[in-house]
Amino acid sequence: MVDVKLILSLLADNVERTGYPVPIDPRRIYSWAEPLKLPRGGRTVLYTGALYQLVPYINSLVRHLESLERRKGGGLALRLAKTVGRIVDLGKIVAKADPSEVSTVEKVLTSIANLLSAAGVEYGYLYENDLYSGVLLYDMGLDEAFRRHAGKVAEALKRSGASLVITVDPHTTHVLRKVFPEYVERFEFEVKSYLEVLAEKGRRLPVKTPSEPGYDVVLHDPCFYARHEGVIEQPRRLLALAGLNVKDPAKSGRMTYCCGGPVEAISPSLSKRIAETRLDELRAVGGRIVTMCPICYANLRRAGGEVEDIALHLSRRLLGA
Amino acid sequence: MPWSRARILEEAEKCAYCGFCEAACPTLPYGRHRGYGPRGRVALSGHLAAGGQASSEVLVSLYTCLTCAACTLKCPAGIDIPSLVRAARSLVAAAPHKKRII
Repeated sequence: MVDVKLILSLLADNVERTGYPVPIDPRRIYSWAEPLKLPRGGRTVLYTGALYQLVPYINSLVRHLESLERRKGGGLALRLAKTVGRIVDLGKIVAKADPSEVSTVEKVLTSIANLLSAAGVEYGYLYENDLYSGVLLYDMGLDEAFRRHAGKVAEALKRSGASLVITVDPHTTHVLRKVFPEYVERFEFEVKSYLEVLAEKGRRLPVKTPSEPGYDVVLHDPCFYARHEGVIEQPRRLLALAGLNVKDPAKSGRMTYCCGGPVEAISPSLSKRIAETRLDELRAVGGRIVTMCPICYANLRRAGGEVEDIALHLSRRLLGA
Repeated sequence: MPWSRARILEEAEKCAYCGFCEAACPTLPYGRHRGYGPRGRVALSGHLAAGGQASSEVLVSLYTCLTCAACTLKCPAGIDIPSLVRAARSLVAAAPHKKRII
């Protein structure tokens, strides 16, 4: 088990100094969008909150923590303090992010942007103002650090001229929709997940005839979409529209079972055991396992799961790309 | 807004110790004790709000919560357990850090 106070301190220091929970080149957050030439800002903006982009770097840190957990001699807390005690060392660890993971998350974001464009949604992107949401600060109880960070995010959104903010993952959707209004004065943006936006378009989505026949998919509902934000029916409707046969595990919808991801940095081994339990349930259904959250994606993959993000399925089936 | 100590205590005191929440918790089956489950976390949140000490085991209990809210669906008293745990974490996080990392 990791020294909790050490992790809190590391997290707060990193966000305060760099804007992100782990050191990352800020260009990595928005470089995926440059080839798409999306307009800047506007009344409707796409806000990723950087969670997808951070996942390969968080994975790198978790792999490091896992290796420390397995080593003998001294507590994990001590070993962690020795190896990631300074921001520069943490930077070296997360710099080992797997390039294939970086490429996958960039493909997911590109697919989301293309799906929105194909559905006729007129939106702009925030580029260097696509700041991290600060959700981990909130989750960890670092209220004052979160309040300061949330203020910066709200200012960036206001500067963009947006009234509708489209999000791409359940954690960012939840923190922006339910938590920001409690911490930031006059946070009056409408917030919708891209899955909600696409589902509203329904039959108006341009469906290309898929070249391959439909297949079975097993949907893993992320807790924050299913239990906190009521996003349950929309992904099912979109997958069905894409000609896919959606199969639910025994625990699905509001009764879904967590992937274990939220504790990956506190106890990588506990997190992995929960992911393995969930994978057994998902595999028992039979079909390609689909996730809608970068944390679920990363943690189920870490436990050996062959999972794929919903945006990639929708993009292939609906856009042929 | 962040919960006050009084709010945390009030929420924690709703617990009737029925244990229905424990069947839904993904972390409890792999934990060393009941602090890895919702009932333990509710009790420890109340303990902290009442001025109790945050031992390393208390921290582990609170910070291994996934805040997945599976337990809340089962709670007859309607305790918002993820929010309660998060509020208890904010008490811990607000305490002065003995170690500076950088």
